[in-house]
Amino acid sequence: MSEVEVRLPELGDEAGDEARVAFWYIDVGEEVEEGDDLVQMLTDKATFDVPSPVAGRLTVQLAAEDKAVKVGGLLCKIEVKD
Amino acid sequence: MMGDQPDITARARRFPPWLKKRIPSQGEAAEVSRLLAELKLATVCSRAHCPNLPECYARGTATFLILGDSCTRSCRFCAIEKAAPGPLRDDEPEAVAEASARLGLRHVVITSVTRDDLPDGGAAHFARTIRAVRARLPQAIIEVLTPDFRGAEAAIDAVLAARPDLFNHNVETVPRLYATVRPEADYRRSLGVLAYAKRRATAGGMTVYTKSGLMVGLGETADEVRTCLADLRAAGCDILTMGQYLAPSSAHLPVVRFVEPAEFAAWEAEARALGFAAVAAGPFVRSSYQAETVFSTRKA
Repeated sequence: MSEVEVRLPELGDEAGDEARVAFWYIDVGEEVEEGDDLVQMLTDKATFDVPSPVAGRLTVQLAAEDKAVKVGGLLCKIEVKD
Repeated sequence: MMGDQPDITARARRFPPWLKKRIPSQGEAAEVSRLLAELKLATVCSRAHCPNLPECYARGTATFLILGDSCTRSCRFCAIEKAAPGPLRDDEPEAVAEASARLGLRHVVITSVTRDDLPDGGAAHFARTIRAVRARLPQAIIEVLTPDFRGAEAAIDAVLAARPDLFNHNVETVPRLYATVRPEADYRRSLGVLAYAKRRATAGGMTVYTKSGLMVGLGETADEVRTCLADLRAAGCDILTMGQYLAPSSAHLPVVRFVEPAEFAAWEAEARALGFAAVAAGPFVRSSYQAETVFSTRKA
């Protein structure tokens, strides 16, 4: 088993800016396929769905709904079968 | 596996459903960001907080922002920093050419802040950048999105002399809203920039497509948009982009209305009927969004 960290990519706001977690599509413990939406984020300009870069199981969410995350900040971790 | 259907209306009701973007799970976004940082280049994508940035960077494209990254004007729709700009960066044209080559761009879009502090408004720097890109990528289509140069014909001449393929200047909004949206600009002057560029290029035997963009959702009426499209055609404008205005922050002008995708489709049809050679209209359409694709759809 290994763990992949999912970080908030640039969403158009400049580095250092934040996006807010609207809601999580995937709960802790749920399995995801690569490309499944993990979380919906809000910036001042739009809503963004962040997909999973890998298939695996979501082990931890680092930001609760309505909380702000900085670009590059950790959103969640996905456990991947080696 | 998806969780239970989330209560979207309660939690994310700030934007209508069509203003949702999906971030590509694969792509070149990180490489593009690294390259731009390495070459110390700014993009309007980042400085204007464009919601298309994840999509465009993932596709390996970006729109370069030259002449510095702070602007001498204080347009109330724009996120770019308003401050006294610094000196021009002499190696910026080469850096843009280097980035374009390393990204393998076939269609290079170069825009800038407005530099009313410079005698030529930055036109010579635009021209140098066009020439530098042309030297590195002779086959690339080069599109410039310029400020109004305060209407100075000599500045437009200088840019055109470098032979861009597209000359883009945005009217941005209808004339009634200029005082609130772009108080230091002038609608007739912007139309004049487009008309002069077209006239001058044609007289010089150059094939230069002119292009302009309009934001909607700022409180304009349909009749005002219609008049604006007719004004653009009368100015010889070839290509039109129309997109939803989105406020970069609560300190900027608020969105008056979210325009539905069907309404954009109707505008696109109407604009084509007016004779624009190419039209892109949609909620996330921006001036340089999918510029290569939009240009490729042009009618002769």
